[in-house]
Amino acid sequence: MPARIPAGPIALWRSQAGHAVASADRCPHRGMRLSHGFVRGEALSCIYHGWSYGKTGNCLRIPAHPSLTPPETIRVATHDVEESDGIIWIALGQPAARPPRFEGLVPLRSLTVNANVAAVEAAAGAKADPEGLVSPSQHPQEIRLLLAPQDDQTLIHVLLDDKSSPSRRIAASRTAESLRRMAEDLQAKVQAS
Amino acid sequence: MRDEWYPVGLFSQLDRNGRNTVLMGEPITVALDAEGAATVTSGSGRALPVRVRYGHVWSSLGNPRKELFAIPEADQPGRRFVDVGVVRVRCSPLRAVENFLDIAHFPFVHTDILGAEPHTEVEEYKVEIRKDEDEVWATQVKFYQPQAAKSANGGITTEYMYRVPAPTCSVLYKTCPPRPGEWDVITLFVQPLAEDLCDVWPWMALFDDATPMADLIHFQQTIFLQDRSILENQIPRLLPLDPGMEIPTRADLTSVAYRRWLKRHNYTYGAQLVAQ
Repeated sequence: MPARIPAGPIALWRSQAGHAVASADRCPHRGMRLSHGFVRGEALSCIYHGWSYGKTGNCLRIPAHPSLTPPETIRVATHDVEESDGIIWIALGQPAARPPRFEGLVPLRSLTVNANVAAVEAAAGAKADPEGLVSPSQHPQEIRLLLAPQDDQTLIHVLLDDKSSPSRRIAASRTAESLRRMAEDLQAKVQAS
Repeated sequence: MRDEWYPVGLFSQLDRNGRNTVLMGEPITVALDAEGAATVTSGSGRALPVRVRYGHVWSSLGNPRKELFAIPEADQPGRRFVDVGVVRVRCSPLRAVENFLDIAHFPFVHTDILGAEPHTEVEEYKVEIRKDEDEVWATQVKFYQPQAAKSANGGITTEYMYRVPAPTCSVLYKTCPPRPGEWDVITLFVQPLAEDLCDVWPWMALFDDATPMADLIHFQQTIFLQDRSILENQIPRLLPLDPGMEIPTRADLTSVAYRRWLKRHNYTYGAQLVAQ
């Protein structure tokens, strides 16, 4: 699937053995987005010509030349990935520490908001803590929002108490959607003024 | 590139009211006059040069020094001429042509029609820039195809020849299943609307008396819509002429020659010269 980090667009994929991998979202052969590609085994293949790339970014196979071993120089950039309590973290460069853990919380869903972090914080009536976690003032027990800024948008990961019932989960999902609408309205007002 | 000929519409669809379109960023109107002849007028009212050939109306914003390229097969008796219509693509006109010259994508983009795994290998073929005609040619291109044409029954190894007679046009000669010894002709005429937007007008001259016209059109449109899903997702949208930007292999020799030919002629509308 496509994803974005400050270093640019990435193709985020899971190998058959279960490893999450973050590759640059561009095949160096003809510039096709790798997030349109397909995963077979431990490799991500480009949908255009089937060039496939391993977890460390090296080109493994060029189907037009099946007997050729691709040179080491053909590769895509990859980033370190960590999975922690159901959240996938991507590192820029060499991370100094492991990603934060959120005791007692589980991820529910992710949604993209057409608003910056400030507008999401204003809608939630609370600021993000140093780990990027927001406890909306109206719903402190209900949900937590983990914010990831993406240019002029914000990716929100919705977390909630790991003992929440299915009906609480549905309610939390609706709460997150109404916060998204509020944040987008606030952003639109800021842009109009 | 302003002095080249470009397709601006299907002649069969013109009427007196005319059709408003765009050529290289300039609004133009293509219409029929009282005598039934095609006219092309620029936004400022200037009459532009006109040719009607291969089902299409052709024009130019400049002064073409060369006549529109010849396709001798267009005058050959027994062929059916197919106006496929138009597909708008958000990509460089040059990227659209380059994709048409590529066979290695068939198994992945046109799966089970023009190609299928494990038949992915591209055998060696010949590429040249012909001096007299000043055209790019690729010959002896062979590829295994499960359904090479509407008239093909089952898989065959198809032989191709490609020609690039103009910067945004390509003519493909392809094995003709019902008539060995003849070539089917499939063309890609690209109208540059902007450097990163084009209208693609495929046209065909086939030996096929059996297949209904609607099926022939549908077949070609299916293929091209599959190509569009690629063309609108290449980065950058312009065709990079800087050799460091993309990595060609032996299978891409036609594209290498096409890019070289574009550069030599300064055909750079829709190209990116320096990596960004």
